[in-house]
Amino acid sequence: MNIRYWLHLYFVLIRSSIRSGMQYKMNFLLGMLLAAGIQIAEFLMIAIVLNKFGAVKGWSLYEVGYLFAVMTLSKALYRSFANDVHHLENYLTSGDLDQLLTRPVPVLLALMSQNFRMMPGELLQGGFILTWALHGMMQAGQITWIAVPFTFLVIFTGAVILFAIGLTTATAGFWLTRINELQTLTEDASQTAVRYPLVLYPVWLRSILLVVIPVGFVNYVPSLFILRGELGAWVLLGIVLVAAVCLFASMKLWTFGMSRYQSTGS
Amino acid sequence: MLYFSLASKAYARNLQYRGAHMLHNVASALFGYLYACIWIGIGQDRPLGEYGVHGMIGYIAFTQASLWISGFTTNGLGIPQSVRTGQISLDLMRPVHLFVHLMCREWGQIAYQFVYKSVPIYLLYVLVFSLSLPQQVTTLLLALAGLAAAAYLSICMNYIIGATALWTTESSWLYWMNHALINLLAGFFIPVEWLPRWLQTVSWLSPYPYLLYVPTRIYLGFEDASRLLGSLVWCVLMTLACLGVTAVVRRKVEVQGG
Repeated sequence: MNIRYWLHLYFVLIRSSIRSGMQYKMNFLLGMLLAAGIQIAEFLMIAIVLNKFGAVKGWSLYEVGYLFAVMTLSKALYRSFANDVHHLENYLTSGDLDQLLTRPVPVLLALMSQNFRMMPGELLQGGFILTWALHGMMQAGQITWIAVPFTFLVIFTGAVILFAIGLTTATAGFWLTRINELQTLTEDASQTAVRYPLVLYPVWLRSILLVVIPVGFVNYVPSLFILRGELGAWVLLGIVLVAAVCLFASMKLWTFGMSRYQSTGS
Repeated sequence: MLYFSLASKAYARNLQYRGAHMLHNVASALFGYLYACIWIGIGQDRPLGEYGVHGMIGYIAFTQASLWISGFTTNGLGIPQSVRTGQISLDLMRPVHLFVHLMCREWGQIAYQFVYKSVPIYLLYVLVFSLSLPQQVTTLLLALAGLAAAAYLSICMNYIIGATALWTTESSWLYWMNHALINLLAGFFIPVEWLPRWLQTVSWLSPYPYLLYVPTRIYLGFEDASRLLGSLVWCVLMTLACLGVTAVVRRKVEVQGG
């Protein structure tokens, strides 16, 4: 049983998950349309402010659009492929995790393939804003085409970092059982925060977003190099390293957490 | 009396989770803090209209705290859940009107959120940002009246959202859409007068500004009592809509689950 076997299995499980979601056609279509609407409304909020007031602390509308788009795409990637890692609380409180434990696949893999969500709304919206931002900055001569492959790399590493943060938060559920409140802090609030340049925040908050919850490495730190030529090319290598370390640590923690799992519910 | 018991039970149920809710308050307060930081950043090089930087912080503090009154109402007032379990058929059989029953329950929920979420979060902002409280009691009373109307409007909107679950069995997407519209059109982060003109028109044609913008403006002393007339009109319209929806729901109900 090598990695190819597990990948194949993962995709088979995902395919069946998509098909089960599509059984509720009306709900499926409505969900897709409204997700796109929600995304547009969210970006309009930022775009209107920047359009009215111009740059924020030296960051232009294009640059903030870039931060927003990279975060949206990384998050869409993470949540598409590991949706129920974010919803582990439901499994813990209802006792449904026991069911997954009986399957002949690793629990994490089983969890990741449950309720797979394609996120076309987020992908379209993120892709559109990213194209617009990159195009605008290229026209102005701020960046060259090399920024495009760099951005793809950063979206991928960003998804890995977000997954690691999500998994670590979920692991806390093995001790706390209820993790929704914690998720609001480690996932929702922190992801919202880094849609804007970190320079807006006081040093203590900036440090938290870089060290405690390393969400600043998803978009802000790489954009310093990709968009502004600050720091140096080593940043990209550093980000890959950060993502790898986060992933490794979160997986270790998850394995440890699993060994402490006690069933609840009825 | 029945109506009061429905509300007080919902209030009492929430009391069990006070500890977890206090932790959640920290996260909620942090959101408002982030938004305030953004306005501080924007306001560094330019004036922020009639509000000024400090006024804008006060604005955000009030809308963030009020979100627990008019924003975070129970998804569809719990109707989607009862559609999936089949409970909805029993609810419709009760000798109490479905809308009144669910509304009373939600009032208890909102009363709890006001005491244990809105008030502590706002007091925290008062300390952190050294905000000043209104000088006149009437301002405070009018703002509270505006918030009460906002809570009622939000209950009505969620009732209608919940009722769609009879057709789709799910309404969480509509709930989140409604939430996104609150963020954009209710003046949660951007005061309505700063929206582009077309969006302002859309906003004022909807009940959204009465959820956050109007109570906040009254509280900050920018508006007088006449604005509450709009809230009242929308409350009447939404009540009629909810009664109409109930009539349709009665004919539509299908029992699911078992």
